Amino acid sequence: MNTPPLMELKNIYQTFKLDSGRKLRVLKDINLTLNQSEVLVLLGPSGSGKSTCLRILAGLLDPSEGNVFLKGEKLETTNPDVALVFQSFALLPWLNVYDNVALGVKSLDLDEEETQNRVKHAIDLVGLEGFEEAYPKELSGGMKQRVGFARALVMQRPILFLDEPFSALDVLTAETLRKEVLTFWLSKKTSIQSIVLITHNITEAVSMGSRILVMGANPGEIKYSIKNDLPYPRDEKTSAFKSLVENIHDVLTEAIIPDTPEWVPPMFAANTIESLPNVSLTEAVGFLEHLAEEGGRADIFTLAHKLMKDSLNILLMAKASELLDFVDTPKNQVVLTDLGRSFIKADINRRKQMIHERMMQLKITQMFYQKLLDNDELTISKEEAIQTIHEWLPNENPEDVFDVLIQWGRFGELFGYNDDSETVYIDRGEQ
Amino acid sequence: MYSPVPQQYRKAKLQPADLLVIGLFVFLIYGSVMTAERWNGELQPAFTIDLSYSSLFLYSIYSLFRASLAYVLSLGFTLVFGYLAAKYKTAERLILPLLDIGQSIPVLGFLPGLVLGLIAIFPHSNLGLELACILMIFTGQVWNMTFSFYSSVKSVPKHFHELSDNIHLRFLQRFYFVELPYASSGLAWNSLMSMAGGWFFLTVCEAFTLGNNEFRLPGLGSFMAVAIEQGNARAMIGGVVCMILLIVGMDFFVWRPIIAWTRRFQLDEQQDDPQEIPYFQKLIQESKIIRKIETFFLLVIRGSSDRSKITNAKENREAREDHPIIRQLRRPKSWISSFLKSQFAAFLSSKIAWIVFILGGSWLSAKLYVFLQPLDAQDWILILKSALLTFSRVLFTLIVSTLWAVPFGVWVGLSQKRTRFFQPLIQIAASFPAPMLYPIALGILAFFHIGIGFGASILMLLGVQWYVLFNVLAGTTMISRELRDTFSLIGISRIDTWKKLFLPSIFPALITGWVTAAGGAWNASIVAEFIQYQGDTLKATGLGALISDATAHADYSLLAGSLLVMIVVVVGFNRLVWHRFYQLVERRFKFER
Repeated sequence: MNTPPLMELKNIYQTFKLDSGRKLRVLKDINLTLNQSEVLVLLGPSGSGKSTCLRILAGLLDPSEGNVFLKGEKLETTNPDVALVFQSFALLPWLNVYDNVALGVKSLDLDEEETQNRVKHAIDLVGLEGFEEAYPKELSGGMKQRVGFARALVMQRPILFLDEPFSALDVLTAETLRKEVLTFWLSKKTSIQSIVLITHNITEAVSMGSRILVMGANPGEIKYSIKNDLPYPRDEKTSAFKSLVENIHDVLTEAIIPDTPEWVPPMFAANTIESLPNVSLTEAVGFLEHLAEEGGRADIFTLAHKLMKDSLNILLMAKASELLDFVDTPKNQVVLTDLGRSFIKADINRRKQMIHERMMQLKITQMFYQKLLDNDELTISKEEAIQTIHEWLPNENPEDVFDVLIQWGRFGELFGYNDDSETVYIDRGEQ
Repeated sequence: MYSPVPQQYRKAKLQPADLLVIGLFVFLIYGSVMTAERWNGELQPAFTIDLSYSSLFLYSIYSLFRASLAYVLSLGFTLVFGYLAAKYKTAERLILPLLDIGQSIPVLGFLPGLVLGLIAIFPHSNLGLELACILMIFTGQVWNMTFSFYSSVKSVPKHFHELSDNIHLRFLQRFYFVELPYASSGLAWNSLMSMAGGWFFLTVCEAFTLGNNEFRLPGLGSFMAVAIEQGNARAMIGGVVCMILLIVGMDFFVWRPIIAWTRRFQLDEQQDDPQEIPYFQKLIQESKIIRKIETFFLLVIRGSSDRSKITNAKENREAREDHPIIRQLRRPKSWISSFLKSQFAAFLSSKIAWIVFILGGSWLSAKLYVFLQPLDAQDWILILKSALLTFSRVLFTLIVSTLWAVPFGVWVGLSQKRTRFFQPLIQIAASFPAPMLYPIALGILAFFHIGIGFGASILMLLGVQWYVLFNVLAGTTMISRELRDTFSLIGISRIDTWKKLFLPSIFPALITGWVTAAGGAWNASIVAEFIQYQGDTLKATGLGALISDATAHADYSLLAGSLLVMIVVVVGFNRLVWHRFYQLVERRFKFER
């Protein structure tokens, strides 16, 4: 007889209503299992619905479609087996460390002594002895997160959910805490059997996860599942570790900037509308300049490391630059094109002109421009623009795409936007 | 590249919105002509109010104009005194206590002085009486605006001041480009509240008795006062509907657009008020007339099109150094401002302030002493007894409003959907002057055989509960999603979630609500404890009734004594009780942002 997995998601779909009333699909056909004694990592760019997944698993959010199972039983309430740790710590400022931790056993109606024992034990585990009387505002970020972990541990539940718990901390503190979490999971001295970790940090995913699910965005779906059998504790400098990181780089790059675009029937190819990655153009220019300093060719992830940037962010910048034909992206490499080189050498006005020209090659800009020309006053309202984008790109968050289009369009002096009247108009510059 | 007037503003084609704007202008002109006519007319202390619906339109315009003029006065007062208090230590020491005291004086406290004084100055026209009425409405509006502006200007971040020094902004420029925009959002919200505060006492301000003289001005307030006195239900309903229309109209056409507009000046770290962008604003934005006016102002303020040159000159340093406007900015400071900044001036002003304080204080005490002379021990016992009774009513209103507004407010505030639905309704309910609903409430009270003694507390509750609700709503927005998730995952019971999460989270906001509600309740007691209804006078024992009675009988000694006690109680309570709560909140109950 085989025991059912700890948790299961089956055919989960999730749609949210945007403020404007439009519906946005954030999760598409998610199927996942959480097994006994594993660290499951959900890795993906923002907008891939990682947090939504987690909240569905925790029973805090009902999926639009699909089912959640806990040990084979359908989950109908909040998940009684889960403890959660947040990026923002979520501590109560009016309770001291002890009381914040004790909150975790509040629902159990333990007697005074039992409570004290459990709280003391949890505080010991995370190394907060001596701080029992301190209030959260007296603590540093790392210490606050320790309180967050203690509150989760004191609940003595089998599953621990970690929602980017290290990303608000400085690098060294995050490193230390990561190791400690792994230590108490491996030691089996706590109740924690399995962990689900959400992150967009690849090294973190590889150093902690026994299985890594790479998620793609718009709508969020699971692209790849990667098993990680490296023995704990893992050393970042080993070649096995490095090659796994490389592997994930490839997978992510393929997910975000595929070398072979999805096959489209030729008759539709001309009508394929590109989405615009949510990237600031000024940042992308900085990225290109840095690339030029590297000799015009670099590995995306090495570059991300050098720039101390999130690699997913750099991937998006590469995608944006590729869209403008300033770079090519063979595998994990970014290579400056001739156009890109001349862009770097150009002055600000020439650069604007180039962006202008390049943007006009994009289907979405052309169609948007046409939309403006069709209007008598050469303007359209934000509302209408977003509605139109939504029709063109039903899977994207149209408000984000609109913002990017306006931001780039302003830089390239294609369109102007008046925030008071919320209208887009054609920028005729001074000609 | 930069043009001060966006492209689409340049096209001139009349939009439907323009008709609306033209309508508004016509209304304004019509209103001011009617008002001017009335002001110049022969003095007519007790205007005969016509209770037919047809007169309501004109009455509403009169009232609206009084309230608007009072608001303009309040704004002027706020900008001057709020600013002075924020910028000069000496002024702060003088102005803050005065505001505190002013806030605690109910409108009737100002009434005799204003009416008698202004009628003496303008004995033959309605001007004096009108001015008195406007000033009374002013006293209901001004204080919270000044407080808000003072604290905003005071909290302008330091780097803005450093920047202003660095680019040599002169006094007015700094005010206009830095401090006013920074304070504008809070000022707009408080303007909305102030306008409501002004309406609250409209029935009292427009129709009152002073000794043997009855005074009545044509307006919605006296219409209601007369309707209530005569028990004319038909007229009362007409008045209430008219008032609601006026409030909804103001909310829709004036406050929402203004509040939405001031939002652009908000820094990111300032807390955003949960407000929708009103669709009327969109209508206005489509109006060419408004655009033309805006463009004109932009050009005037920015000193013609020179602005674009300044912006572009960023790359060209020399051009910037040489630019006439920059040179002008660099002009040596005027002797007045350098005098104001000098040590000597600081020394002098602090001394002057103290002298003014002491002289003013002793003059007032002397006056007060003369006034209070006729009161004997029995009178004082009556005053103190009344104060105690009113105090218990104030406590009652606070307790009852808390009991219902906290659960309801949290319930609404926790869901964005519900907030969106209820927020505008609550705003209108809060702006509606409760005294106009007293007749209905009295009918209900009579049905349950509740006397005015206890009934007065319920009448007070009608007006002030909204302050508590408003603040609870604001406080609820501070509760983070993560904390709520944590509580439900741990499986903490509903009661414990309230005790450990909701109540502490809204506590800071609740205190603000209590302070405003308590102040409002003390003030409201003058209308709630003393009501002229269907030819009768309903009077409860209480400080408010005492003040109203003393005014009606022109018993100035009793009036002064009662006012003095009210001020001492309200200010004392603020200082001794609320202040401590605030300190506690500062220490412990604030979320880090």
